[in-house]
Amino acid sequence: MTVAFRKVSKVFADGTLALDGLDLEFEAGEFVVLLGPSGSGKTTACRLLAGLEQASAGRIEVDGQDITDLPPRERKMSMVFQNYALYAHKSVYDNIAYPLKVRRWPRAEIESKVKEVAGLLDIERLLKRRPRQLSGGEAQRVAVARALVWQPDICLMDEPLSNLDAILRLQTRTELKRLHEELGTTFVFVTHDQEEAMTLGTRIAVLKDGRLVQFDTAHEIYHRPASRFVAEFIGRPAMNTIDGGIVDGIFRAGDVALPTPGRDPGPVVLGIRPEHIVLHDSPREDTLDFRLDVPEIVEPDMLLFAACGEVALVVRAKADRPELRRGDALHLEFPADRLCFFDPDTGARRP
Amino acid sequence: MTRAWRMAALAALIVVLVIALTPYVWLFMTSIKSRLDALADTPVWLFTPTFEHYPKVFLDKGYLPMVFNSLVVAGTVTVLSLAVGVPGAYVFARHRFPGKEDLFFFFLTTRMAPPISVVVPMFLLFSYVGLVDTRTSVILAHSTFNLSLVVWMMRGFFEDIPREIDEAAQMDGHTKAGMFFRVLLPIAAPGIAATAVLCFILSWNEFLYALILVAFESRTLTVGIPGLVTPHGTLWGQVAAVAIVATLPIIVFTFLVQKHLVRGLTFGAVKG
Repeated sequence: MTVAFRKVSKVFADGTLALDGLDLEFEAGEFVVLLGPSGSGKTTACRLLAGLEQASAGRIEVDGQDITDLPPRERKMSMVFQNYALYAHKSVYDNIAYPLKVRRWPRAEIESKVKEVAGLLDIERLLKRRPRQLSGGEAQRVAVARALVWQPDICLMDEPLSNLDAILRLQTRTELKRLHEELGTTFVFVTHDQEEAMTLGTRIAVLKDGRLVQFDTAHEIYHRPASRFVAEFIGRPAMNTIDGGIVDGIFRAGDVALPTPGRDPGPVVLGIRPEHIVLHDSPREDTLDFRLDVPEIVEPDMLLFAACGEVALVVRAKADRPELRRGDALHLEFPADRLCFFDPDTGARRP
Repeated sequence: MTRAWRMAALAALIVVLVIALTPYVWLFMTSIKSRLDALADTPVWLFTPTFEHYPKVFLDKGYLPMVFNSLVVAGTVTVLSLAVGVPGAYVFARHRFPGKEDLFFFFLTTRMAPPISVVVPMFLLFSYVGLVDTRTSVILAHSTFNLSLVVWMMRGFFEDIPREIDEAAQMDGHTKAGMFFRVLLPIAAPGIAATAVLCFILSWNEFLYALILVAFESRTLTVGIPGLVTPHGTLWGQVAAVAIVATLPIIVFTFLVQKHLVRGLTFGAVKG
């Protein structure tokens, strides 16, 4: 099974352009994460796939078949909502059984299916309860059970973990990963949390302003961001980006001068991840001197906010230099193979 | 809450109860008093009860069919207003369309004019189509003002139901109609019950439209009561007997939906 968005646009009644010619294609069995800041169109894309919104332009295809105008019930997809959307007047059992009942499965089969999926999600003991007697984590498990019980082709999840507290969010995240591996169902997962995206997704679609910026594995997105936007959006803290220019094979920005042999001259944005900058004890030929502004200990690491003239950046290093104080000199090495270069106008990464 | 507050609250409750219930006690006593006791200028609290007024007014004077008329009118009005108003309220709660809030406000304006100003044109309309002195005319008249009540109340209830419930129902395999009837209506049941009670009471108690639109066979109980004001004096015992009977269905109906009514009136209804 192949799912494809082909030049899909969505304009809402108030004129908001939520999706702007989205092109996206993925295969069955993937765990696709739609990631982006608020207003990037990730939720809209998910709802269009579900059939809960109508596309303004473009086509959505499953195996080459146009499903753009099919109602939700004919799409073999289920959905998990951020606020769970359980039926408050039904027991947990009836909530989970409901999609099967609506689809007129035989009663005996319904019962065995509900038991099976309840076992899978470890919620058998909750089956007789009402939704309002459940904690947030339990309610979300029930919602996931309801979405998986009829074995849909695709399970859509719209920020399903956002209403859970931090610890529960981690547990449920692991749980979802396990479910995906056990069931092989295709998951489409919407989130604004990059950590969720990086841990869950087999591939991550990064959206911005209704367009696809990059669709790749977490590793690729982290190490080879397609644009300055992705570089600055992914990673905590984000990738350092320095506006400057290359003259005679040397990158210059304010007081910073970094040899970049073989690079074309002209204005450019240099990017490097905080943990890729190497902190040395003493100056070397290949180090630049920065002044420490604020050290922050985040065991087992520390974040060093440093500046050199106008240029500010963050270094992530092992927290083994407790003697560092504000104003100390940092001798920083910028390994050439870790550097990224972005176009200052379009933001696109240069090879 | 401290003990003192609790006592104060209890006392306040008793005062309210006494104020609310005394008329009913008085009404019931009047309905079983003889004419002489009823008209005594010093209220009589101890008397020999008589049950002559009930058979007299309902059987001899033929007021029994009026109970039936009132039940048919109020019942039909309730069903009709809900059948039209509940789906309408859902659309107001969920959909966006041009002029929505204006149209919604228009429903309210139908209640702004004093009924007396509408009743004469309404009488003329019904007489043109030959509906005067039928239950249908009263049902239609009452539905006009109950419809706005239903739309206004039910919109709030539907807005209290998260939109995701609609969507979950569709993802679970329902058509839009299936979603509305199988999922949303059961969830909105408390609100519907509360609205139904109010509809029923409003129609059951309504006097002016019913008085103008019907004269003989189709008279409702409220219209029947003034018939007991005779040239030979008001028959208070019979008036009270009719009033007691007129109160009973409301009490029964309210108790039936009481469970929903409390929830229904405390959330949702104030939104809109």
